[in-house]
Formats: sequence, structure tokens, C-alpha cells
Amino acid sequence: MDNMDKDFNQKLLNKIEEKHLAPKPRWRFLLKNWVIWIAGILALLLGAMAVAVFLYLFRHNDWALRASTDKGFWEFFFLTLPYFWLVFFGLFVFIVYYNFKHTKKGYLYPLPFVIIGGLLACLFLGLVFYKVGLGRIIDDVLGRRMPLYGEIFNPQIDFWSAPEEGRLAGVVVGATEGGDLVLLDPSGKEWEVAFMEQVGEVRLMMPEIGVGMPLKIIGEVSEKNNFQAKVIRPLGAPGHGFFTRPRSPAGVRFDCRPGDCRPPDFSGPQSYLRPHRFVN
Amino acid sequence: MAEEKIALNVAEKSDEELVNLALKNRDDFLYLVDRYKNRLTAYIRRLTKASPEDAEDILQEIFIKVYLNLNEFDRDLKFSSWIYRITHNQVISRHRRLKARPEGYAVDIDDAAARRLASDIDIAAATDLTILKENILKVLSYLVPKYREVLVLRFLEEKSYEEIADIIKKPAGTVASTISKAKVEFHRELKKSGLKFHS
Repeated sequence: MDNMDKDFNQKLLNKIEEKHLAPKPRWRFLLKNWVIWIAGILALLLGAMAVAVFLYLFRHNDWALRASTDKGFWEFFFLTLPYFWLVFFGLFVFIVYYNFKHTKKGYLYPLPFVIIGGLLACLFLGLVFYKVGLGRIIDDVLGRRMPLYGEIFNPQIDFWSAPEEGRLAGVVVGATEGGDLVLLDPSGKEWEVAFMEQVGEVRLMMPEIGVGMPLKIIGEVSEKNNFQAKVIRPLGAPGHGFFTRPRSPAGVRFDCRPGDCRPPDFSGPQSYLRPHRFVN
Repeated sequence: MAEEKIALNVAEKSDEELVNLALKNRDDFLYLVDRYKNRLTAYIRRLTKASPEDAEDILQEIFIKVYLNLNEFDRDLKFSSWIYRITHNQVISRHRRLKARPEGYAVDIDDAAARRLASDIDIAAATDLTILKENILKVLSYLVPKYREVLVLRFLEEKSYEEIADIIKKPAGTVASTISKAKVEFHRELKKSGLKFHS
């Protein structure tokens, strides 16, 4: 060994000694690997959940009712597409990809393999989650708790909350003396929904209407708080959690299962509105 | 005599055994330092325009990093691939810090490496090895870092595709295509420079 080599070695040892350096413990590297794997698996599960909710919203978008609105197929498609869940899905597929690439051997796999693998794993698991009903559970929970649910998580609510354009969504809170429905919309506004005799062409696409039932209605605003219904339909599965939120000025809370609600201290008409009042 | 015996003993030990020794005794880390010091210095100077003093600084940073991370060394990997990977990352991060592009520096290459590169890149064989080596180094220094690096690893450091994949952390297929593009770039730069490989 020549002197230059000895100098270098001595300098290196001095530096290690001066700075009290020592090899980092093995558990830190093991922990880092575990964190990468666990974060990747979590991202995979979250991405799959996004797929499950997307499928649930997409499947129950009431495509048949589109023809009764003034929207063409593509306009309806893009206005009700749950973009949030698509973005959420994309984000978590990216995180799956990123974490996989940062595992010990992740760099050996080509980019398309990792991306397509992550996509397929998320889609497959998402389909399983959807089949076991996780999409519905997540939608219900978010509907009950999350702010901006109708604007972000479930655009169907926003789409059906446009009375000026002939679309009204809300929950039945009672009936007037004249037998019209009283509907509470997501903004807390009460509507009297007239049908049959006045319009003469209401299509009731459900067996019966009860208090606490979320509905979507196609028609037109006749007066400030009056809506003339042409088509009445139950809201469909997505968004039911959302309509159990307390909204009425009296603070009536529909703390119940979707479609089976009875406000605990509701003082209005309790009886079901019978379907014979409507023209099918 | 005793020193010679120890040296002989160390020469017989594998890198992995030396890592185990270094983990038990700090001074034994110098066996690994001695084994890789010259190779890594040449590699650093082939990737950068570092002066011998700068190269020594970089090398010291590298060995400190290696020492600190000895427990991270994955036994599925060759130790040489792991230490070259750390060197590769250190050179890149140093140049990022300095906001400079790594540029190759003329460090002599051995005759066999020069011939191998010339033959693989399909350059007309030179009669004068000195000219061949000089020109190879010049053309390499004109290449963008990602092409220069794979050619240096493949032909001057004599690494296999799998080892290069482990060093630069890219799939083996990407390494193969990068080397192939690097050869084309080498030809293009050679034409542009007007260098002749004949005496």
C-alpha cells in the first residue's frame, strides 16, 4: 500500500471517528421496506375501493330515465360521471406504481408492466369489493358525513338538483291537504309537488311513496315553491345516506335505513301516499 | 511477513465476508476500501470532470455512505453492483447540487477495453492503440451522461447487463436499449467530431 492510499484510509477513519459514525441498524432498513410495502398495499386497497364506488354509482345511474330529461346520452353521461372516483383511482394506481418501484427489486420491472399490473389488480379487487357491497357502504357513509357530497362524491345529486331545468331531488316529508307531496330538497327548501289532476301525465315509476323516501322528479317549476311532476322515481341506491341528513327547518332527522324512514317527531301526515293517486 | 499473511487472507475473502468483518470491526472496513478504491476512482473520473482531489472527496463521501448503510446491503445483489450503485447516485446528486452536467474526463483505459469497445461499436480497427484510446475517451466525453455511463459500465468497467441494471436501477431491457442507442450516439458524435481512428 503506498502512502497516498494510507493517507486516504487514515482520513476516512478519522472522519468516521470524529463524527462518531456507525452503520445504521438493520431494523431501520427492514422497517423502511415494510413501510413501502404496507403503503403500497393500502394504496391498492384504496384504489380498489374507488373502483367499487365508481361501479356502484355508474351501475345505478338510472340510465333509463335519461330519455325523460332534456339531455342527450353523452351530456347525461358526462354530467353524472363520478370524476372524483376516477381521479382517486388514478392517484392510488400511481401510488401503487411508485411504491412498487421503490421496493428492493421493483426497478427490475418495466414501467408498462407495473402500471398495467397495478391497474388490473385495482380493477379486479374493486370488482370483488363492489360485488360484496362495499361500494354502497362507502357511498352511504360519505353521504351521511362528507361536506360537498353532492358536488364531489356523487354528481347524480347535483345533476338532479336543478329545478329550473326540470329536475328535482329530495326527500318526502309529508303531503298537503290537497294531497300534493311535500318534498325537502338538499338545500333545505320545501317544495309542493303537484301531479296527476294538474298535469295529467304523471308517470309514477314506483309502487308507493312514503314519508322519508328520497325521490327524483322530472317536471317544471310552476310557482316559487311548486313543482309540476311529469315523472316520479325513487332516487335509486346511491345517495340514500345523503338524504338521511337532518335538513328540514324543524330539524327533522331521518335516522333510518334508506327507503324505510320515519321521522321520529314528525308532526305532518304520517300515512303513505297511495299509488292509486297517480297515473302510471 | 505477518502483514503479507493478513493481505493474502483478505484477498481470499469474498466481499460479503468483508462486509461481515466491517460490521464487527470498524477498522476492517478498510479491506473493502482497499479493494474498491482504485476502481471507483477511475469510474468517478470517467463519469465526471473531477480533478484527482475532487474525485478523492467524492470517494470519501461514497465510502462513508457505504459504511453507514452496510446493513442495507442486500445479499441477493453483488456487493460490487451495490457499491457502484451508491457511486452512481453520489455522482448524480453531487452534480445536481452543483447544477452541473457530469462530463467525462480522460482517464486512461486499458488496451483490451479499448479494443472491445472499438469492436463492439464497430469502429474500424486502429493501428495505433494510443490514438484509439484517446479518441474513444474524447467521443465518450461528448456523449450525454446517460449514454456515456452505460458505455463506461459495459465496456470499461466490464459489467454485465444484469449488473448494469442493478447499478442504475433500470430493467435489463431498458439497459439493453440504452446501450444500443448509446452506440448509435457514439457513431454520430464520432462523425460530428471528425476524429479519425487510424494513425
